[in-house]
Amino acid sequence: MKLKRRAFLQMATAASVAAPFVRGAAAAADAATIGWPNDVPSWDPNQRFTPDAQPIFKAVYDQPLDQDTQLKLVPHLIKRWELAPDATSMAVELRDDVTFHNGDKMTAEDFRYTFLERIKSGVKLDTANSWKKVDDIVIESPTKATMKFNAPNPTAPQWMAFLGSYMVPKKYIESGGLENFQKKPVGTGPYKLAEYELNSRIVLERNDQYWGPKAKVARITIQIIKDPSARVAAIQSGQADFTLNVPVREVQRFQGQSGFAAELNPITRVILLQVRADLNFADQNVRLAAHHAIDKAALSKAFYGGAAVPLSVVATPGSPGYLPDFSFKYDAELAKELLKKSGHGPDNPVKIGLAATNGQFPSDYDIARAIVQMWQKVGIEADLQVIEYAKYFELNRASKLPEATLYSWDNATGDPEIFSGYLLNPKLPFSAWKDEAVGGQVLKLFNVADYDARIAGYREVERFAVEQGATIPLLQSVLTVVRKRNLQYAKYGNGWVLPQTLQWS
Amino acid sequence: MLAIVAKLVARRLLVAIPILFVVSALLFCVLRKLPVDPAAMSLPTTATIAEVEAKRHEMGLDRPLPQQYVIWLADALQGNFGRSIQFGREAGSLVAATLPATIQLAGAAMVLAAIFGLGGGLLLFHLRGSSLETVVDFASILLLSIPEFLWGLILLFVFGVVLQVLPFTGAVSPNLPQPHVTGFLLLDALWVGRLDVFASALRHLILPAFALGLAFSPAIMRVLRSSLFDVYHEDYIQQARLRGLSERQVLLRHALKNAALPTLTLAGVQFGILFSGTLLVEVIYSYPGMGNLMVDAVRNADLPLIQAIGLTYCVAVLLINTVVDSLYLVLNPKLRVR
Repeated sequence: MKLKRRAFLQMATAASVAAPFVRGAAAAADAATIGWPNDVPSWDPNQRFTPDAQPIFKAVYDQPLDQDTQLKLVPHLIKRWELAPDATSMAVELRDDVTFHNGDKMTAEDFRYTFLERIKSGVKLDTANSWKKVDDIVIESPTKATMKFNAPNPTAPQWMAFLGSYMVPKKYIESGGLENFQKKPVGTGPYKLAEYELNSRIVLERNDQYWGPKAKVARITIQIIKDPSARVAAIQSGQADFTLNVPVREVQRFQGQSGFAAELNPITRVILLQVRADLNFADQNVRLAAHHAIDKAALSKAFYGGAAVPLSVVATPGSPGYLPDFSFKYDAELAKELLKKSGHGPDNPVKIGLAATNGQFPSDYDIARAIVQMWQKVGIEADLQVIEYAKYFELNRASKLPEATLYSWDNATGDPEIFSGYLLNPKLPFSAWKDEAVGGQVLKLFNVADYDARIAGYREVERFAVEQGATIPLLQSVLTVVRKRNLQYAKYGNGWVLPQTLQWS
Repeated sequence: MLAIVAKLVARRLLVAIPILFVVSALLFCVLRKLPVDPAAMSLPTTATIAEVEAKRHEMGLDRPLPQQYVIWLADALQGNFGRSIQFGREAGSLVAATLPATIQLAGAAMVLAAIFGLGGGLLLFHLRGSSLETVVDFASILLLSIPEFLWGLILLFVFGVVLQVLPFTGAVSPNLPQPHVTGFLLLDALWVGRLDVFASALRHLILPAFALGLAFSPAIMRVLRSSLFDVYHEDYIQQARLRGLSERQVLLRHALKNAALPTLTLAGVQFGILFSGTLLVEVIYSYPGMGNLMVDAVRNADLPLIQAIGLTYCVAVLLINTVVDSLYLVLNPKLRVR
């Protein structure tokens, strides 16, 4: 008996030593491993708006509406929808062939529960904010319902495919409790959650009963790797098949290696300078000079391999709010002239502060340093200070932000309200610009129900804001991706990497 | 002897209570004075300024600081450390879920640090006066100058990327399940009889444990050597030689036992530092411990979570010091007499 146990232990040890040498384990035929930068905050998808977690939620849950790769709204759990002309109600028709992972059929009861009942019940959900205008959801049949809003809600369809808006199972949550739901989440998505280890890994298994197109890869392991260098090492060593958000220089290095595909994909994330309307930026000449002095193409070339598109408005090319005919030029001489009008120049520089994060998004601090250099040449002396992303809101609230803050913000929907509308809205804690001339125009647009009129209004505001110096858009950010060459995926304009689109070739 | 140790432990526990109060109050005040807004961080960016103000009131952030602390303390004494802003879960439960992994990592690293430290110290002492002494001495100084995170990156690059012989992400291979019994993965794998999981968990532990252990071993090495130098001037060493004991016997039976006492003190202090040193190493190796959680908490200004983790580190250091002092009592009879 002793001998047998010893032999068994020896075999186990030998197997454990040999296992690392068995290469390509991560690339098993029907499995893939992704090196992902962040964990999900919770498995209740309505709870926290975390942009990085959305692709993972979209694997386990479904949203009422979806976006295609070009970010166009498309039917999903909702087959048809109709926003009232005054945007105070929206009728929806749900699919009748959708089941949750536990086998329960999805109905309008779940829709009402997700977007009204659980919000009103007092559970702490971020969706309580996005759907605060919902007064009632009237159920007309198991597949038909009408949302009633207490004020015009023109972006309701966009929000149906945005942060936190995922269908959750009423019966399962009510019977098992919230804690059980968070531990054993049940959605309607193309994958089921098979295993979850906090800050470590997420294992997804294909939902073979999925109502839509079945996922091509049966088992996806999402390895949470927060350090960018470790993500690079993981893909390099074969411990991951796909990873993202790695340094740009690493993408350029991988582009020369066989067996890998490395990409710099422009996405809907905008890099900009949030500016104040007071201090030394109270002078419009100084604000506009600060904008004219920045060579955005040079920033893109230096820090994003030229892949980041220089922007003149705070909207990305192809999105509804973008103005293809409007250009705010780089002109250092014009910047000097503007400063001269206000009594400043290289010999008598105007002093301002510039805040920037260090490591929040690729090359953020380096971009800030380059801007300081560019400003110095025209007569703007900037004191660069590093802030944590988490401090932004408090500094803004306490009016302690300097004249300009380098920031990066995403708009996965592409809708201008969910970007410029928040960016320049003086009532929101995000906005550094507190001025009624621009802010007043933005606030009016929140009640415009007609889509075309609303978009036209935002285009006007975006142009006006830049001409006023109320914002300084810089670049369209890029998503860096490194993957094994034979692992394909669908490229979304907003940078989503959806596990259900992965496919070995 | 047990009675003396028990008395020491009881005395230490009594001292720990005011220390914990002071540390918790300091942590609380410092965190509340940071220019971060937990109310804004706990709401989506769509929240208006008025809603953020209402949230601040709901969270009690508009009350005087002492009042906020008393409320927090009353809850903490009942085991409620508040809810994590980022995760929306009890901060205590998050700490409890991640602490075993950190203890496991720190414990393994300490064992390695002790092995390298003791072995290296004996080697250094053995080579005294020889031409090799300078080389080994230089190597120990070199080791001392490399911090744990740099070791982490070096080992990851060499053994993970270049040689590809060891895994460096997570706690176990992606194709294996992670059993949950006590939270200590190695123990749990054995408990459920999964030797494959045990072997995989052990392999995943090697690089982070070495990164930490290598960084902390040189100090032990050098203190042991200098303690041995001191001890070798004592009369009993000469007497041992006169009794006909070999140099090896003198070193291992007499000198090492006495030289180990200051080394033990240092190891205790080192273990406290090593425990907090897990933070960066856990991030580099994606190891699911408390350090990894702390990085998230700091990034998101998750004050309840930072407070809970900070206090846990404090308790850990106090416990380690108590254990070291107890060992000191066991090893040093003179202290028992006093």
